[in-house]
Parts: sequence; structure tokens; C-alpha cells
Amino acid sequence: MNAPSKKPKSSFRRKFLIGTAWVGGGLAVAASVGGALAWRRVSNAQKFMLPVDHAKGESSFNAWLKIAPDSTVTVAVPRQDMGQGIYTMLAMLVAEELDADWTKVKPEQAPLNPVYGNMTALVDGAPPAMKSMVGMVSKVLGLQATGGSTSTRDGWMPMRVAAASARAMLLAVAAQKWSVPASELTIEKSIVMHKKTGKRAPFGEFAKEAAALTPPANVSLKSQSEWKLLGTSPPRTDVVEKSTGNAQFGIDVRLDGMLYAAVKHIDLVQGELQAVRWKSGAAPKGVLHEVRGSDWFAVIGASYWSMQQALKDVELVGGGATAVMLSSSRLAEVYERVLDGQDGDLSPIAKPLRRTFAEKGNTLRMIAGTDVAKRVEAKYSVPFLAHATMEPMNCTARIRDGKVDVWVGNQAPTIVQWLAASAANVSGDNVTVHTPYLGGGFGRRSDMEVVRQALACAKVTGGKPVQVIWSREEDVKHDAYRPAVTCKMSAAFDEKGGVGAWYHAIVGPSVTKAFIKRLNPMLAGDDPPDKTNCEGAAEAPYRSAFANFQVDHAQVDLPIPMGYWRSVGHSFNAFFVESFVDEIANALNKDPYLFRLELLKDEPRFAKVLNAAASAAKWNTPLSPIAGGKVGRGIAVAESFKSIVAQVVDVEVIGKQIKLRRVVSAVDCGFALDPENVKAQISSAAIFGLTAALKGKITLKESQVEQNNFNDYGLLSLAEAPEFETVIVNSGDALGGIGEVGLPPVAPALANAIFAATRKRLREMPFVM
Amino acid sequence: MAISLTVNGSPLTLNVPGEKPLLWALREDANLVGTKFGCGIAMCGACTVHVNGEATRTCVLPCSAVAGKEVTTIEGITAKGLNAVQQAWIEMQVPQCGYCQSGFIMAVTALLDKNANPSDAEVEAAITNLCRCGTYPAMRKAIRRAIELMKGGAK
Repeated sequence: MNAPSKKPKSSFRRKFLIGTAWVGGGLAVAASVGGALAWRRVSNAQKFMLPVDHAKGESSFNAWLKIAPDSTVTVAVPRQDMGQGIYTMLAMLVAEELDADWTKVKPEQAPLNPVYGNMTALVDGAPPAMKSMVGMVSKVLGLQATGGSTSTRDGWMPMRVAAASARAMLLAVAAQKWSVPASELTIEKSIVMHKKTGKRAPFGEFAKEAAALTPPANVSLKSQSEWKLLGTSPPRTDVVEKSTGNAQFGIDVRLDGMLYAAVKHIDLVQGELQAVRWKSGAAPKGVLHEVRGSDWFAVIGASYWSMQQALKDVELVGGGATAVMLSSSRLAEVYERVLDGQDGDLSPIAKPLRRTFAEKGNTLRMIAGTDVAKRVEAKYSVPFLAHATMEPMNCTARIRDGKVDVWVGNQAPTIVQWLAASAANVSGDNVTVHTPYLGGGFGRRSDMEVVRQALACAKVTGGKPVQVIWSREEDVKHDAYRPAVTCKMSAAFDEKGGVGAWYHAIVGPSVTKAFIKRLNPMLAGDDPPDKTNCEGAAEAPYRSAFANFQVDHAQVDLPIPMGYWRSVGHSFNAFFVESFVDEIANALNKDPYLFRLELLKDEPRFAKVLNAAASAAKWNTPLSPIAGGKVGRGIAVAESFKSIVAQVVDVEVIGKQIKLRRVVSAVDCGFALDPENVKAQISSAAIFGLTAALKGKITLKESQVEQNNFNDYGLLSLAEAPEFETVIVNSGDALGGIGEVGLPPVAPALANAIFAATRKRLREMPFVM
Repeated sequence: MAISLTVNGSPLTLNVPGEKPLLWALREDANLVGTKFGCGIAMCGACTVHVNGEATRTCVLPCSAVAGKEVTTIEGITAKGLNAVQQAWIEMQVPQCGYCQSGFIMAVTALLDKNANPSDAEVEAAITNLCRCGTYPAMRKAIRRAIELMKGGAK
């Protein structure tokens, strides 16, 4: 470790090896520039200083952390906590390198600055589409967003380097004061110690002088064997607040003079507001302002509840060019025709864009040339789904003296800033985004229509802040939905009786295109292809076992708002792939677990996770029977967001009732930095997936969503939740994500369990016996 | 209309329409925002408080129905120091997004106040709140832990 010096900061140069491995693979172009960009990003982080609270005497070391005289370490977290525990995780990265006392480490939401942009999300694939939207790479790099299970991977290098750098600076000051070599100093729980002389002092005492030093040119990070905090599960930083009613969510924001707005959208899922009719002729008493939006109407008053009551008295007329009449039954017909290659009458859907996402050998020829008796074919489908975050959509905005303040639970403060600046017609510098805790995210809070609404309302209140709240019904009926998707899968056996060809044809919309369209319709395009369409299918783990392998996608544009939903394309593709491989195993009369192992002979990482799950679940131990019902066990494995998860589901089927008994998961996310949170996220995502598998369904009738609230869009309850057991496989591979990865394999594992119990193959979600 | 009741041990007079749900009176008029709005149809339980000791969903409970009654919210529980349920919740690190947790803690507290040693089936029958993050596995552990803590004398 080089000693920090007092050279001017402008001459600061940093050199350390940054491979592209830590930013993940994905797009080759992005990965090749990844190393250089990462370097610039860490050096920029040294130049941008986290704003300090002078009253607390804080000293800022760089963009990522500041230290107070009492040794409190404040960590800037540029990601949003929606329950995944990212405040804790990213603070742990800093605390580890600083050897800080965990009880004195405080995460806080980072300000908006390009240095915090989520580069891993860029490299992983979602934001390349943003590239065209903002027009310049630098702006893309500044996108502060939480998604794609990227946060830890993205913070992994810069946050540890930032902390190691601060550590070196603290030790340099201590060494000088005590006249001892810095190399003989250690830190334990925020106390700097010199063993030979017995000197010790909390590092906060050195913070002010240390922060004035030029950061060292080189820092070495701790090796894994030196970690004290990483690999353990310290108390989460938010749990006490969240167990005492003290955690502040967006809906809890209270400001002087604040007004409330209730919002009602037109009945159509998409279209334009054409007329507003008060049934009693005029707005009821208490309505201070009426605001008309593109497809919504809001009333503003002193009470949200009274504004909600007022909206019962209004009729909205919707229609216009963007309103296209579509019902789920018609959409199913269209999907079926597209699957069968008939692009004739698809009205009201336009001709699909057909593309091949993966191709090896000559799959179609082999399948066509194989006798029907030696083929397996199946069609699967999944419906639209709402996110149903527990905290309904809301946003508080204030426009005063040319300055805009926005308080909103969101997954992309940069997008909030763009939207607010554009709506208020001010520059982004005049917009302050306040991000409290999110009452659930799951992708929903990256779509920020509610920000536009809050700004439109704040424009008419004469500087008073206004809080817009959606009812649950608005939330269910006007989400940006996980799309409905259908597919057909075919496998052909070769002469040896093995799988010689695997063909997967998927029909569905592009989520990324739909998402961008909602931000700015001018910028929504078809290139580059949206890899979320086929994620989990194009790189199905079994592809190495097949001589012929092809994944096609027919992209249909739907007149329905759609967006990212926990695990995105993996949420349906894993269901397709893992159900179908089970069907093939059954056709070959093979054990579904052993058959997968056979196919994964060249994929040792997958095989290890699959074995871990099967072993923990005691795959071969029969389930205890149940009176009047049947029991079954199913297995599935999937890679998503660079992590591999295998799950074994035990199910009881009693008449038409499907009862979940147990879910055993094995997860390889490289290394479990916080094992208890890994387990919590795996069961969380699995319950999200099981809710979809058993209950989730949004349907359209004449372009109106038929569901309303939790009465007809139900969630799994405590009584319905299975027992969970999760095994961690620390492979030492590159870090993978954790917030979404427990979802993809759980629905197919359940479908496979139901098949094992009843011999009935469920190919459509939600599952109905 | 003026409605007088006791909230967290102190008298409170609400000047609200009688049909205004208690949830919104708490959040808008009493500035007690720990009780959450989730569905508005008493399905999710995020708005659970205690009315005369009973776990009650307040998003459909008119203020007129609570005149003269004793209402306790999550803030009232917290003000007396962490109860056994909250201690167990923290120990088992239950919350994820945290939004539904006040409602769950109120529901579980009311259950254990009545039945200090419920069976798993009794717990499942009584606790019908919804959690979108799926924190149920940790909740099950925390409820068992809270029962132990109460046996050990925790309030």
C-alpha cells in the first residue's frame, strides 16, 4: 500500500487492474469499454465529494463515504432499498474495508451524480436501450437505477476501493501523529491500534486531517480470508425502523401546507382522456383544483380520503388513437396464429417481428425429419401480471421559486429527475429527488408515470406541496404489466434415443421497448434486440447437450402498458424450459433430476447446484402421503442475473386444491456476502413466483383490466406459504445477483411436482387443476 | 363532526366526517403514519390497529364507530418500549420492504395478548394480513420466538 501524500488532488492518478469480469458479461461492446469506464468511474468518485453535515463535523473522503469525529461512517448508497436489503449490503462493503464498527455505519441515499451510475445494469443489457434515449454514453453511465439484480455487483469494486482508500488516509494520519509506520497499524471496530506501543484511538479522531490528504495511488483490497463482515449477516440497518412504525415511505411524507391529490385513470388500460363529466354537474365541495392529464384526472384538496370520495362522482371518457380494443381471448388467438406462422389476420395486432436469438446446427430440419413418435411438443402460456407493491403508487412534489422537490419511492432517481425537470420546464440541476424507503419495487417503481402526475398537480397549487396517491384499484388496473407470453417447444430424439434437437419459439412483446415507449415514444425502437425476450431460453443450460438448438422470438407490439417485473423474461422462460425438459424426461421414462444431470454433464456449476438442492431435499426419500390427496416432488434449475438456483418443490394436491408443502433451494451467487439475506431473498422471490403460479392473472376485456384489488388479484398468505430451506453453494465464481434469482425455477418446479403427484401437466399459469 | 376517542393512551378529538375511515383520520388528522394504506377493502391488513384491544382493519372502519373507544397504533406500542413481537421481529430480521410490517405486528400482538400459546394452525387462521415481499418464513420463526419471549416475561 502506498502512503497517501499531500500532492494536489488534480495530479491524482490511480492504477489498478480492473478486468471486465466484475462488471459481468453481456454485451461485448459494452464489456470491452467496461474496464476503462470503471477506472474513470473510481477516479471520478475521488473527485466528487459526498456533501457533509457541518454540524456533525463530518469529513467526506470521496463520493462514497464520510466519517464524523465520533467515528460514525455514513455510506452513500446510490441504489434504492425496496426490501432487498441493499442499504445494508453496500454499507457492508465499505465497513469491511474500513474495519468499521457495524453499529456505527449508516447508509443514506446518495445524491444524484453521474459517478453513481449503474454500469452493471448497462453492461447487463437493460440500459443499452436507454443509450438511444439519451443519445450519449456519458449520460447513460450516470443512470442511477436499481434493477437487474445488479447493485452489489456494481458497487463491489468502487465502494471497496473508496473505503480502502479512506482507510489508508486514516492510517497515514495516525502514523504521523504517533510517529510509527503506517504498516504497523491495524483497525478493529473503528479503533486504530499500534500493538507495539499500545496506542489506540477511534478513527474518527483522524478523519478531518485524513480527508484533506490526497488519496493513495494504489490500494490493495482485503483478500477473502481477511474478511470479518462479508460472509456474515450483521443486523440489517433498516429492521428496527421497520419494526417500530418509524420507517418513512413516500406515502408518509408530510410537509407544511401539503395538499393531497387522488387520481383516476380512464377505464381503458391505454388511451386518451377525452372528457370529464361530474355527475352532479360540478366538482364536490372540498375540491380545490382539478387537473387533466393524458389518460388521467386528478382532484386536489386537503384530504386524500375526501378527494377519493369526490372521484366517485366523476365520469371519464377515454378513447383516441392510442386506444386499441383488445381482449385477452383475442390476444390468445393472435398468439396462437403467430406461433403457427400465420401472420394473416392478427387485428388489432400488427405483423410480428420474427428473429432468431440462438441457433446451433440445423434444428428445424432435424425436427421436420423426425417421426412424430420420436418428438415431444408442447405449448405453454403465461398471463399479464401486476406488481402489486404493498405501498400504492404515490409521489409528492413541490414547485417553488424555480426549484422542484420530488419525494417518491423509486427505482431510478435519474429518471425521476428527467421527468420532473421536463414537466416543470426547469433544468435537472433545479430538481431535488428525495428517495425514502420503497414499499416494494419489483420493477414497478422504475415506471414513474406518477411523477408526471405529481408535477402536473404541483403546478397548480401555487407553491404548495401536493401528494398524489393511487388507490389499489388504480394500481391493479393501470400498472405497467409483466406481459402475456406464449411459446411452443419441440424436441426430436436422435438414433441413440437422446435429444438431438431442441426448438423453442416464443411469442410476446418487448418489455424494454414498451418501457422506453412510456418514457418517450419517439425513442422506442427494435434495435438492438431486447434480450429480455429470450433470457433464460436462448442460453438454456442444456444447450451444450444438444447438437441442434434454436430459439426464435416473434415480437408483437401490444397496446398495453408493460414494464419490468421481478426477473423479467426469466419469469416465464424458466417455466417454459424447465417444464419442457421435465416432459422430455417423462417421455424417456427417466428420473427428472438424473435426466437434468445427464444433460448438464458439461455444465459442472449447474450440476453442483442441482445436486445440492436434490440432496438437501432428499430427492429419493418418498413424501409422506396425505389422506384424500396426492403428493409429488418436482425439480427445476435456472440461471438468472449470473446466479444459479435449483429448487425442489413438494406439493399436496387435494381435489382441485394445490397445497405447497416445502421449497428447498440451492443457490450459487458466486459467494454469499450476506448469507441470511441471500436466504431471505430466495424465499421472497420464490413466494413471488408461487403467487404468480397459483394466483396471478391480469385479463383484459375490451381493453379494460378485469381485476380490481386483492380480492381478485390475490397474494399468497402466511397459511399458504410453504416451509423453506435454502442451501448456499459458494462456488467462488464471479458475483451474481440475488434479489430476483429465487423466482424463475419455482413455478416449473411446482408444475413438475404437480405432474409427479397427478400425472397432469399444467402448461398454463396460473395453475388450475 | 367532533369524535372523541383515546389514541395511544391520550384523549383525541377528531373533527372529521363520521364516515371517514379511521385509517385516514390517523394518517391525515392525527399525523400517525405508521398505520398504512394497502388496499382500502380490508383485505391486506396493512391498516391494522387495536380498537379496545382487538386487531381491527381501519381502512373501512368509520370514525363514528370508534367514538369513546381506545385505539392503539404501532406508535403506541413502540412508545412503551419494544414488545415481545417487535423484539422477535428484530431478532429474526423479518422486514424486507417493511410496508406491511406494522399491520402484521399489530395483528400478532393482539393474537398473543389473547392466546399466549397459539398452535401453528391458530396463528395461520388469525394472521391473514398480506406481505408482498413474502417474509412469511421469517415471520413464522418470529411468532414462535415472541411466544417464547412472552413466556420468559417479555411484554
